[in-house]
Amino acid sequence: MSDRLRPLLVVAAVLVLVLGVVPAVLGAFDRSYLYQVANLALIFVLLAASMHLVTGVAGLLQLGHAAFYGVGAYTAALLATDAGLSFGWTLPLAGLGAAFVAVLVALPTMRLVSIYFAVATLGIGQMLYLVMLNWVPVTKGPNGILITSGLTLFGYDLSRPASAYFVVAVVTLASLWVIHRLSHSYYGNALRSLREDDQCADAMGLDTVRLKIESFAVSGFFAGIAGALWAHTAGYISPADFSFPQSILILAMVVVGGLGSLPGAVIGALVLILLPEVLRPVGDFRNIIVGGVLFFSILLMPKGIIGEVSALDLVRRQLGGAWRGEGTKAGSEVGWR
Amino acid sequence: MTTLLTINGATRRFGGLTAVDSVSTTVAKGELVGVIGPNGAGKTTLFNLISGFTPLSAGEVHFKGRRIDGQKPFRIARLGIGRTFQNLRIFPNMSVFDNVSVGAAGMLGVNAAGAVFGGKGRSEAISRRAWAALEQVGLQGLAGELAANISYGRRKYLEIARALAMEPELIILDEPAAGLNDTETRELAAFIKRLHGEGMTVLLVEHDMGLVMGICERVVVLATGRKIADAAPEVVRKDPAVLEAYLGVEE
Repeated sequence: MSDRLRPLLVVAAVLVLVLGVVPAVLGAFDRSYLYQVANLALIFVLLAASMHLVTGVAGLLQLGHAAFYGVGAYTAALLATDAGLSFGWTLPLAGLGAAFVAVLVALPTMRLVSIYFAVATLGIGQMLYLVMLNWVPVTKGPNGILITSGLTLFGYDLSRPASAYFVVAVVTLASLWVIHRLSHSYYGNALRSLREDDQCADAMGLDTVRLKIESFAVSGFFAGIAGALWAHTAGYISPADFSFPQSILILAMVVVGGLGSLPGAVIGALVLILLPEVLRPVGDFRNIIVGGVLFFSILLMPKGIIGEVSALDLVRRQLGGAWRGEGTKAGSEVGWR
Repeated sequence: MTTLLTINGATRRFGGLTAVDSVSTTVAKGELVGVIGPNGAGKTTLFNLISGFTPLSAGEVHFKGRRIDGQKPFRIARLGIGRTFQNLRIFPNMSVFDNVSVGAAGMLGVNAAGAVFGGKGRSEAISRRAWAALEQVGLQGLAGELAANISYGRRKYLEIARALAMEPELIILDEPAAGLNDTETRELAAFIKRLHGEGMTVLLVEHDMGLVMGICERVVVLATGRKIADAAPEVVRKDPAVLEAYLGVEE
């Protein structure tokens, strides 16, 4: 297979799977519950991918990611209900709102390292959660918000489960492509160097503080996008959707999949959303099984289902993103194009 | 010869201790200067003062006629000062090539928008620079290996390659021979000499007297934070103050 053909085939295969095979299967069953599960899986794929960028690549242990997801969801829900804006507006504004909050959080916390940064994000996550819970005049508090306007884009009503799935899938795929470009480039390399030794990266001429804030903001942006998708497809949001356990769930997806690995984050999210659904027939026992799978997968594969090294290798070979030094033979691709 | 680096009365106090005490010297373009001194003489602190990792208590540092003290390390690096660290600091979980590419990326600049929307030219330039630096130290055969998996001696060259990928005008090597055996130290000496021969300005801190005396054109000797000698190796070797600092006073 030629080097130029392979990446196109990989991309085509992903598109056919997500936009062809999955909707066909969902259509065959035609139950709105299954569409809801599919949407939730894609939303968590996006959440895990956005956390991958900041925690896996840039190495900033983020324990409040669900709060940015919540900021996006509430921004979208409030703009849809109170301001009557359609999805075409609420989606980007939810992303920007979450990114804005992320920058505000990042400015004072970026000088903190490792565990101190993690505890700071934990605190911020709890604060934002309590705002959602207690700022009743705006957020309706624990009652949550009902979004009755559904999902309309450019005047088209896309609220039907089948069309809503396509919207979620397209937005998620486009976001994944952006995160892929950021992770698998010299920009991603620079972020990785921060994770490895930020003082050393500083001595190489990298503006480490700016890079950390950027990665945090981009990660927040996509968490906000995921929030808007959730608000518009679920039709109802409440603070419980964005609580601390959700942040830990997203972290577990990233770690089980492979810290620093984008394909790993995607697979981790799919496993941890779909496994409990598949195990529904066994009743409450399923939670124990999910916990066991988590435990043994990290015990047997501490680097994750697809570790960072294999993930980068995979992307370099299958997506043709690598560069080859003059006079070296095929298969010795390094760096990024 | 044009002066590249000027250190003027550089002083650094840590509490009651004066680690570097009004040290002044210059480095001209194309020079190979060694800094030696016993343990705790302030060699590494002096390097950190130049590269901006430690702020000065008093004094000034100028590079290419521009005052650089008080600037952030990445800004000083971008002006053209590359450095290595005393205790070998590489990026262990990145490949050899990716390690070196960070040096090139820092100087050529990377940004999020460029990474997402094209910017192939920039990436190509970073790749070429990183590859050239790897070839310079002879590590191109290990480009795809994880940095943590290569030998200690090679990691030393990897760290130097990363600094070379910055294409700096001045390279600061902080105890590059630490932990190397005699053969490896000799090879390193030959490598530094070759680098200097290609026109690179080198400032070398070393504990190993033999290495510095063998290759440097000029040697600065520090003892308890003060400069006690600044001359050619053969002059420094006979300097009574230097002998005293290294061997102690005769009773």
